[in-house]
Amino acid sequence: MSLLLVAILVGTFIATFTSTSRSVGFAQAANIPGEECKVSGTLVREQPVIYDPIVDPTKTVFHMEDKSGAKCKVILEKAKPTGLENSESIDLYGAMVDGEFHATEMLMKCPSKYNESNHVLSLETDESTS
Amino acid sequence: MGIDYLQEWTLLAWAGRFLVALAFASAVAAVISFSQGWNEWGKRAFQLHAVSTFAVIALVFVLFGFHRYEFQYIWKHLNNAMPMRFILSAFWGGQEGGFLLWMFWHNVLGLILLRKKTKWTAVTMATLSGIQVFLTSMILGIYFGDFQLGLDPFLLLRDAPQYAGLPWTLRADYLTAFPLFQDGQGLNPLLQNYWMTIHPPTLFLGFAATSVPFAYAIAGLTNRTDNSWMRPALRWSFFTIGILGTGILMGGAWAYEALSFGGFWAWDPVENSSLVPWIMSVAGGHLLLINRNRKKPLALFTTYYFLILSFLLVLYSTFLTKSGILGDTSVHSFVDSGILPQLLVYLLTFVTLGHIMLLRPGKWRRWTLFAIFTLALACFKGYAIETLTLFLLLMATIGIKAYRTDIERTEGEDSVWSRDFWMFVGALLLLVSAAHITWQTSLPVFNHFLEPWSGTLASLGESWNSDLLRDLSEHNLAPGTDFDQTYHLVQVPLAVLIMLGIGFAQWLKYKHTNIGNVLKKIFLPILVSMLLTGILLWQFSFEWWEVPRVALLFAALFAVASNADYIIQLGKGKWRQIGSPLAHVGFGLVIFGAVLSTSQKNIISKNQIGDISTLNEELNNREDLLIMEGDTLNIGEYFVSYRDRYTEGIHVKFRMDYFDKEPRVYEPGEVVFFDGMVFEALEDHEASEQFTDDMEDHWMFIPFPNERQAKTARIWESGVPGEKQFTLEPRIQLNEQMGNAPEPDTRHWLHRDLYTHIKWGRVTPPETDEEGWMGGRSHTLQVGDSMLIGHTLLTIDSLRAIDDSEKPNRGLLTKDLAIAACVQLKNKDMRSQHEPLYIVRDSLVVPDMFEADDYGIKMRIETFNPQQETLEMTIWEHISVRRDFVVMQAVLFPLINVLWLGCIIMAIGSGMAVFARWKRDNKSTAPKSSGLSDE
Repeated sequence: MSLLLVAILVGTFIATFTSTSRSVGFAQAANIPGEECKVSGTLVREQPVIYDPIVDPTKTVFHMEDKSGAKCKVILEKAKPTGLENSESIDLYGAMVDGEFHATEMLMKCPSKYNESNHVLSLETDESTS
Repeated sequence: MGIDYLQEWTLLAWAGRFLVALAFASAVAAVISFSQGWNEWGKRAFQLHAVSTFAVIALVFVLFGFHRYEFQYIWKHLNNAMPMRFILSAFWGGQEGGFLLWMFWHNVLGLILLRKKTKWTAVTMATLSGIQVFLTSMILGIYFGDFQLGLDPFLLLRDAPQYAGLPWTLRADYLTAFPLFQDGQGLNPLLQNYWMTIHPPTLFLGFAATSVPFAYAIAGLTNRTDNSWMRPALRWSFFTIGILGTGILMGGAWAYEALSFGGFWAWDPVENSSLVPWIMSVAGGHLLLINRNRKKPLALFTTYYFLILSFLLVLYSTFLTKSGILGDTSVHSFVDSGILPQLLVYLLTFVTLGHIMLLRPGKWRRWTLFAIFTLALACFKGYAIETLTLFLLLMATIGIKAYRTDIERTEGEDSVWSRDFWMFVGALLLLVSAAHITWQTSLPVFNHFLEPWSGTLASLGESWNSDLLRDLSEHNLAPGTDFDQTYHLVQVPLAVLIMLGIGFAQWLKYKHTNIGNVLKKIFLPILVSMLLTGILLWQFSFEWWEVPRVALLFAALFAVASNADYIIQLGKGKWRQIGSPLAHVGFGLVIFGAVLSTSQKNIISKNQIGDISTLNEELNNREDLLIMEGDTLNIGEYFVSYRDRYTEGIHVKFRMDYFDKEPRVYEPGEVVFFDGMVFEALEDHEASEQFTDDMEDHWMFIPFPNERQAKTARIWESGVPGEKQFTLEPRIQLNEQMGNAPEPDTRHWLHRDLYTHIKWGRVTPPETDEEGWMGGRSHTLQVGDSMLIGHTLLTIDSLRAIDDSEKPNRGLLTKDLAIAACVQLKNKDMRSQHEPLYIVRDSLVVPDMFEADDYGIKMRIETFNPQQETLEMTIWEHISVRRDFVVMQAVLFPLINVLWLGCIIMAIGSGMAVFARWKRDNKSTAPKSSGLSDE
């Protein structure tokens, strides 16, 4: 019974191994075009975030810099998420197509309340006292 | 430094800290007393601990009630604008409050356990008090140099380390001098929701309740000849299952009602890590059911181990979700928030306790403790990952050793046709399910464990040419985003087996059953559920690859039908026996409702043409709909109209009117466009859903439309808006801290929900120049093209060259070359012709702005391409004529109420089962004979 159970468990893990994606940089993603992967990085603020709902309500274009510093144009197939411009870090799920990263899913980390309030507190009071 | 700060309630801060310290000390005293068997002292110590914890909580509430913003916790979670009914949500809005809530429930449970003295009291209470020691340490807020032990809920803002030395902290009157301190930051508005008032306490009660069966299991391991601990553990197990299950589903309800990811379950790490302890509690509870009456226990080790695991998984869940380890795969260190090492020590201590207790007392226990001590030293020397790996291997070894030699084993005497056997199989299936979810959720943690072996794995991968090993060596695994692949592939088949088991095993007796009778009994439920599945297949559309999903729907229906039948046949008037089958009915309905409403959800905002300006572009095949203010568009069986918007408090609300769809009636002679072709109606008819259905019988194709036909032609439509049915008001919450967040609005019916939310909407006025013109937009147009600018339809009728006689009137020189675009502007009040010019003077383009003030439009031709006869025009729109628009999504969730109904039935059923068991255990301590009627 216990051997059977172990076999089922191992089988389960191997079965789901195929469904895991890899967390990579843009360079690696370019090596596996069309294959789903995850890229983490930060928004390139020098480049504009383009979202024109009149043209396409489900297309947001921006540039992201991955952890190794490589920059790439990202086409997110969603309405522009609120807070994208203020995001601290971005996780993209999608695939590289013709040198552009087509993201179907995106997670953002926004500045936490805690950090932001620290910021507020030290700045404003500094000004008012000095 | 001797500053007398004005108007601070410093005294209360000290009182609070004193109470926390007292709670900590008394918890330690309770552990010592109970583990020495001094039960009276232990009881007093625990009562003192409970009283001081309650006092701490009361004090925090007082601070909230009086808006004492000098306290960091209050300042961070409350503000003046917040209604006081959200004070509870604010209380558990932060980590400190979360721990206090958890401690609160442990205290309540502990006090209940103390009411009746049994031989298990000492060990269970020692365990529970031990848990409290760790939890109280989380709110101690003591610093040892840089190391912080716990987060102090009574920390004054000016004492917070991040503000140390700032000038304002040295001003005695800082509270009154700066407006910043007269109002707090406020609770994240997403949490200002009534679900956030009831979901956390229910969930935390569920979490806290897992510690009771755990404590009983530990107690049972100290006295292995006596299995009477199982009766109270059983009651508490099912209490846990009911409460935790309800708490999890309340979280789902919150997500569904207030968040806008379009569902109630997203396999999110936070959700998963509360689901897994529940699954293990279910497995453990059912193993207790098997064993409570047996002289020779079945799978005793597994029973102990599952109960221990369900508590350890609660701790693991806390660790996962509070450590930040999941959010970012590159966090290399476990120690990045002040409280993290503490959480890890808390987790590992109880992992150690749970495993060591499985061993018989003796040298193995001593050696294990010694090994752990050594590992802890190595850990401090900096080999964190390696020692953790060794630690986990050690724990696994202990588990196997205990299983093989230390815990009584009995095998092979049970009939296959017994309830015991199938409950055991079900428990193992639940273990696989829990292990799989944990695995997928923990991939980022697993990456850390792979890291030190990266080189070895890479070289092994090369020499064996194994992609798997190479992938592992990169330690960058991430959970996939396709739920079908990542979770459903494994979870659905498991759930099918479990649901079939629930329906089938209810009819089996303990020990042995005549299988023939059982098959006769389940014949009717099978028939009913097959019939219902048939109706589903007819009513909804499933793809061929959804066979497992349909199988699950069938299995869930079977579980419901079978248990309902069981209640009808055996439970008449015996309410004490229907608790468990009723809970199973509820659980079956939950699974059925969840699977059906999610897999058959219908995004009706799909495939829409937002307005005619996008007509030229390819049809948008996405899920979102762009709708202009005042427009009425067809979605599914409705017409939706964006009426207007208004601001209320922190919300911008968008009024979306829904209308019935009535068939469009066409009369003979009416002319329509379809797919770029023109048709004329031959006779009176009601339009079908598809034009192609009507085309042959009712329409005549017009290859060369005459002027009347061209002028009156409209786009073919299958329906027209009928009666207004209802208005939904999806909102965007203006949330300065977390970013603006959309919140859905949902229309509920008995058989389905219509869920609407704003994907994108403007919450601030658009940018304009001083004269009120908004940013220009460039368009490439051809003769004959039309587009909608706000309320105005712009059409390029023709192009013509300006001849010399006209030039002076238009302010042109004779040498200029000029082309006029004949532009027709039309809105519902007026229609007029205009001629913006494209001027070339000395081979240079002279920009010529053309303003049509009546329409609030100005335009400029930028380039002209004579070969293709196309123009590039920039068109500006004036703010006064701008039409607002939103991007929205509308989703139909069929039969989602079955899910909520199931949740309520499950909670009632579990409650009844627990109550009945409590009554029965109180009446007689002698074991009853087992049998069909026993459950």
